[in-house]
Amino acid sequence: MGRFVLRRLLQSVVVLLGVTLVVFLLLQLVPGDPVRVSLGTRFDQQTYDALRERSGLDRPLVVQYLSYVGNALTGDLGVSFRSGQPVTTIVLERLPATLSLAVTAVLLALLVAFPLGVLSAVRSGSLVDHAARVFSQFGVSVPDFWMGIMGILLFAGVLGWLPPSGYVALTDDPVGWASHVALPAAAVGLVTASILTRFIRSSVLEVLAEDYVRTAEAKGLRPRVVVVRHVLRNALIPVVTVVGVQLASLVGGVIVIEVLFAWPGVGRLTYDAVQARDYPVLQGAVLFVATLFLLMNLLVDVLYARLDARITLR
Amino acid sequence: MTRSKIVAAALVVALTALAGCSAGESVDVDGGSTAGGSTGGTLTAAIGGEPDQLDPHKTSAYYSFQVLENVYDTLVEPDADLKMGPALATKWTTSSDQLTWTFTLREGARFSDGSPLTAQDVVYSYRRIIDEKLNAAYKFATVKTVTAPDPATVVVTLTAPTPNLLANLGGFKGVAIVQKANVESGAIKTRPMGSGPFTVASYTSGDTIKLTRNDAYWGPKPKLDGVTFTFVKDPTVALQNLRGGEAQWTDNLPPQQVPTLKEDGAVTVATTPSTDYWYLALNEARKPYDDVNVRRAVAFALDREAITKAAKFGQATANQTAIPKGSSWYYEYAPYRHDPDQARQLLGGAGVSSRTMDLMVTSEYPETVTAAQVIAAQLKDVGITVKIRTLDFAQWLDEQGKGNFDAFLLGWLGNIDPDEFYYAQHRTGGTFNFHKYSNPTVDTLLDQARTQTDEAARKQTYERAAKQIVDDASYIYLYNPDVVQGWSRKVTGYQVRSDRAIRFRDVALNR
Repeated sequence: MGRFVLRRLLQSVVVLLGVTLVVFLLLQLVPGDPVRVSLGTRFDQQTYDALRERSGLDRPLVVQYLSYVGNALTGDLGVSFRSGQPVTTIVLERLPATLSLAVTAVLLALLVAFPLGVLSAVRSGSLVDHAARVFSQFGVSVPDFWMGIMGILLFAGVLGWLPPSGYVALTDDPVGWASHVALPAAAVGLVTASILTRFIRSSVLEVLAEDYVRTAEAKGLRPRVVVVRHVLRNALIPVVTVVGVQLASLVGGVIVIEVLFAWPGVGRLTYDAVQARDYPVLQGAVLFVATLFLLMNLLVDVLYARLDARITLR
Repeated sequence: MTRSKIVAAALVVALTALAGCSAGESVDVDGGSTAGGSTGGTLTAAIGGEPDQLDPHKTSAYYSFQVLENVYDTLVEPDADLKMGPALATKWTTSSDQLTWTFTLREGARFSDGSPLTAQDVVYSYRRIIDEKLNAAYKFATVKTVTAPDPATVVVTLTAPTPNLLANLGGFKGVAIVQKANVESGAIKTRPMGSGPFTVASYTSGDTIKLTRNDAYWGPKPKLDGVTFTFVKDPTVALQNLRGGEAQWTDNLPPQQVPTLKEDGAVTVATTPSTDYWYLALNEARKPYDDVNVRRAVAFALDREAITKAAKFGQATANQTAIPKGSSWYYEYAPYRHDPDQARQLLGGAGVSSRTMDLMVTSEYPETVTAAQVIAAQLKDVGITVKIRTLDFAQWLDEQGKGNFDAFLLGWLGNIDPDEFYYAQHRTGGTFNFHKYSNPTVDTLLDQARTQTDEAARKQTYERAAKQIVDDASYIYLYNPDVVQGWSRKVTGYQVRSDRAIRFRDVALNR
């Protein structure tokens, strides 16, 4: 397994190089000039030229790209056009907020989706099943930012139970953190829960139709034992993949919710970087998310082997 | 106790704590007890976005200046009526040829680390802007030299008389006096060192900027212990923060709710006419907009009151010139009544019967998007079909720079001197003359007014220029918006300013 992990890590470096190239080229195609945005509306031509030179944007594209990759290989992702701060620092600063939101959202989602999905598969066609399907239809149809605004108006506005926005670090004040994370995590988690409910339901249904389940039932095992010991173990495998991908994409992409709730995470950083055409930060953020996806996929593959004896890693 | 029981007990405690601290009472504004027994409290201000950086000479973002207004000083500064008055300089004299200005610095001015602020710091700050060609360099266009003959005296010599020099040297914190060591260490980007009433204590990227009182401040001691800025982009959420007591001040209120907020009285909402103006510009490098009659036709086709209502929900005043009523430079002139017949007649005379117009607006300023829809409906009435193009600001600026537009909507914010209202926008070849307007008469007037030292004569020259600009429909002026800000009833001593400078130095928090 060690060799498998090592080989996958090496492959990842190649993939990441590809990612930097694609992102770099895409950024060249996006209209909008970072120098102009940085200067706003009032400036003269000399000021424009001077800042363009200071940002290194006057150099040929090939030189810009090669020096970026060269520096990136040594761990230096450049400095932000906007703030002049090192990109690595900026992205890492935003990590705790984003991770805590993403993990809480996925945990909340699992808490809802797991029992709901299993129950609605086992009792397929029952009232519970119908309710679960209505719930997941609702969750995937309603945009998360709308859920967020409704949540703010209800829980912060009318009831006054929770703060409407902002962030407190978990390490500073766990209770403050919990009260701040509740609304955004619920808004994001609802969508994730809906996706997972549907997925778990169909995955469990599929396994329920397998021959070995019929055998287990035939040899007289109680239904509960059949579900826990035979069905869940097999149905979980594809679920792990989906949860992993969901988690990774939440870390990289809860942009709208982070902006709405003034949550200082990577998504909000990406949003601001796009607005300002802050190429180094944007590249850094994308690179970070891509790395996370690769690691998450690797982790999922390793987990597969643990969950399913039929799979070996080579 | 079994493990699961411990977990359950912990959960119950956590939930109880949660419910207890959030039963609807407002959050303690003290931000934790402050050491030293000071009781001024900390005010939380929710602003609409995050500063890009805190170097006053390198940022152009209003969000940065909202913070920096409370951290830095300029040589002179605008008072409530936007008249330039003393700040770091207590007095100044002008030579008879108007080419040499001598400023005397305030005794005892210090940076917040306690080090003295001297004439050398002023020279350093201005040379930095000029030599490194930073954002405000254009404000020093006529400055020849800046010298410090002694630690309390700054001498500025000019290449031409510059009656608006004071506005250039103090109109906003983009020309603030910075500390050399702070610049050279690079700390200025996140921990700027100023001489103003507050100093930056911490900056958490994406989250908050915390200011604490600067005890070395030369002016009256600020009553607040500190100010915390949070960045809340969504106006609905900002309002919830204000209502719930998480913030005590915001300028990010949903415009459609301002009238009801003013009435219900739970929070204080105040408005004042700003010095900003919003306008429609037609590209005179493109046919048929090079024809003054076509531009005048568009000006006659617009119903400014309707546009103002739609775009600003009544929090603006329609105006056909740039400078708002209430300014000492205001010039009353309104030749365009809403008259579609007149517009059609002018278009017919110019040989334009039906026509498509590309109108560029930006999502950065949602009011332009709303205004564009009303304008489109009004122009449709005179046979012009408007195609609205909504871009993000980066792309918008790009297109503006390249001249890729028939028309665009935007505003100029925070103007003080009439030169800022007119020169770069309407002078032939002016830096912001993106719509390529050119009229030699206007050029002569604007050049002349720039160096006129007699204020009455200068005002007259600007009025003549303004009349010509309006008659030529170089810009089709629409309205001057109000500055709208809201704060908690516990806040006293705050005043809304027409230049949108946010000053917390005289504010107190009652508890």
